[in-house]
Amino acid sequence: MSLFDFFTDPVLRGPTWGTLLMCIASSLMGVVLFFKKRILLGESLSHAAYPGVVMGVSFFSFFFPAHEEWIFLAVLGGAFISSLLGLKAIEWMEIKGKVHSDAALCFVLAVFFGIGTVGASAMQLVNPVWYSQIQMLLFGQAATMSDSHIFLYAVLSAFVACFILLVFRPLQAVLFDRDFAKSSGIPVLVLEKIVFWLLLFSLILGIRSVGVVLMAGMVVAPVIAARQLTDRLHFVFFLAACFGALSGLLGNILAVVGSSFLFPEEKLNLPTGPMIILVGASLALLSLLFAPKRGLAFRLFRIISFHFRCLKENILKALWKKRGISFSDLRKEHVVSSFFFRLALLRLSQEGWIEKRDEMFVLTPDGVQKAALVIRLHRLWELYLAKSLGFEGEKIHNNAEEMEHILTPDFEKRLTAFLLDPKEDPHNQPIPQKEREL
Amino acid sequence: MNYALQAKDLSVNYGETSVLWDVTFQVPSGVILGVLGPNGAGKSTLLKAALGLIQPLSGKILVLDRPFSEVQKKVAYVPQRESIDWSFPITAEEVVLMGRYNRLGLFGRIRQADREAAESALNLVGMGSFAKRQISQLSGGQQQRLFLARALLQNPDIFLLDEPFAGVDLATEKAIMALLKKQKEEGKTIVIVHHDLPTVEEYFDWVLLLNTRLIDCGPVSKVFDRKNLTNAFGKEQVLFSEAADLSAKKMSGLL
Repeated sequence: MSLFDFFTDPVLRGPTWGTLLMCIASSLMGVVLFFKKRILLGESLSHAAYPGVVMGVSFFSFFFPAHEEWIFLAVLGGAFISSLLGLKAIEWMEIKGKVHSDAALCFVLAVFFGIGTVGASAMQLVNPVWYSQIQMLLFGQAATMSDSHIFLYAVLSAFVACFILLVFRPLQAVLFDRDFAKSSGIPVLVLEKIVFWLLLFSLILGIRSVGVVLMAGMVVAPVIAARQLTDRLHFVFFLAACFGALSGLLGNILAVVGSSFLFPEEKLNLPTGPMIILVGASLALLSLLFAPKRGLAFRLFRIISFHFRCLKENILKALWKKRGISFSDLRKEHVVSSFFFRLALLRLSQEGWIEKRDEMFVLTPDGVQKAALVIRLHRLWELYLAKSLGFEGEKIHNNAEEMEHILTPDFEKRLTAFLLDPKEDPHNQPIPQKEREL
Repeated sequence: MNYALQAKDLSVNYGETSVLWDVTFQVPSGVILGVLGPNGAGKSTLLKAALGLIQPLSGKILVLDRPFSEVQKKVAYVPQRESIDWSFPITAEEVVLMGRYNRLGLFGRIRQADREAAESALNLVGMGSFAKRQISQLSGGQQQRLFLARALLQNPDIFLLDEPFAGVDLATEKAIMALLKKQKEEGKTIVIVHHDLPTVEEYFDWVLLLNTRLIDCGPVSKVFDRKNLTNAFGKEQVLFSEAADLSAKKMSGLL
């Protein structure tokens, strides 16, 4: 089975294309919700759909028991009505009841889902055959989707994508500064209505493939992954759609390949919906960790390299004050791990700032210059704190210990000019002078 | 009659609390108006009511002698800087370009002329080199300059600025004020919600003193005196607001 088969095989192409397109729609809507700061709404509305699904199916089974092929109408209609009721309940609680938004969202989520679950267990006793239909919609059943689902989700995602492309700028204005957008004549309320209906359709149509419980994951995960990687709104939309599509595709592949790998003998299948969510969540996690600018891994790396630079500069300072120090004496002054310390010494001599003479570390002529600059920054800052800000005592030195590693050449220039090129620090120590620039 | 801003029996409530109570005033066009009053006096609410962002409970407020919806293209609004999420992914240039949205409509595309106008507006507020910057990287003063550039791009007849000097350095404050004075000389009206009393006489030629009720409104030399200030900022107001609060609670069945 090749990757190509997932797009063309009559059995596989339904779930693959269907979930892929569905995920694009929900990811794009997720971006809008994320910047509207209403991301929980997706979670609440999809859960609020559940009792409607249960009611819809039970009514249908009661009145038209022979027409199982049309049951999706009952599912969609029920989901639609009960999501809408959920939204009204949230709005009512927020506006009339003055309940905090998060509380209202969670309350509706829990209550509606609870009602749905009670209804479903009643079904289990009365009508076990139809009960399985309802259970299926909890976690979705992508694997049984057909070409008609491809069409449905293609229309949905086309609508969502066209809407965002057409009104990108006004939408950006509404998300960024709603009052201004309104005051400059953008039909904010109309846009928000359209956003809401597109969201509702994305959610209740998505239930078929990933289910009531997991649907919100497909709204949240792609935008979180995308937000880490870019600072431009249109790229956030684009990347979120890509991540959504990728989750849909990989989720399908993992479900099929994983099933034959894990259970080669039995007729067990990994469920597609949860696999899609897992892929989406992994993408979000990877992005949180490894995004070039904001990713935790790179930030950690930058923090460590900064500490390393501080250590190196502190060693230079120590050698500047006392020419020639043995390893053990130098080691005593710096409370860091032995490995880190040796590495710092190694780098300093590799870079040509220090050398070892008769078991003593000394600065090279270049090292003297470099250390003098650190000392200069330290003493300039001390003078600035004491003279201009009126700091006193220990604080001055401690703060300068930090700032000597932070101050840029630009700061140094401005400080020098501001303090009129001083010669001594507050403790009457000489401030190393800079070579005059030509 | 030519009034830039006028209100008649204007009352606005937030829920059960009344924020503006029976406010009536007229402000002629071509002045710099300072809207003054203590915290919670309804200064921002007055602007929002003028912009149709809040529906008044009763009475009306007119901008350039018309309801806001009819003159919307002639009005530029600068919201409070604190009301904005500055981590939003958008560049300075894109923010300024929003000043053209009122003319472009829902589906209009940005034209080269709009871009160049935005560029010169940015230059005018001294932010020319920051066009491509993310707004999160700007200082408070720069963010406020940016908003002013957006308002300038709208080329309005009246500016409504909500606390443009909050959290802004002195240099920016003076620069903004100089720019606005120049706009006034071109016949525009400028309305500024303000709370720093020592600068009032230097900045404004008209003053509107507000503390839920209207205290006074008129040229700065006539209105800006000790008696009015005590009325606006003093303790006398406390009894009134407490009673109003109590009445609101009674009416809504909370007490």
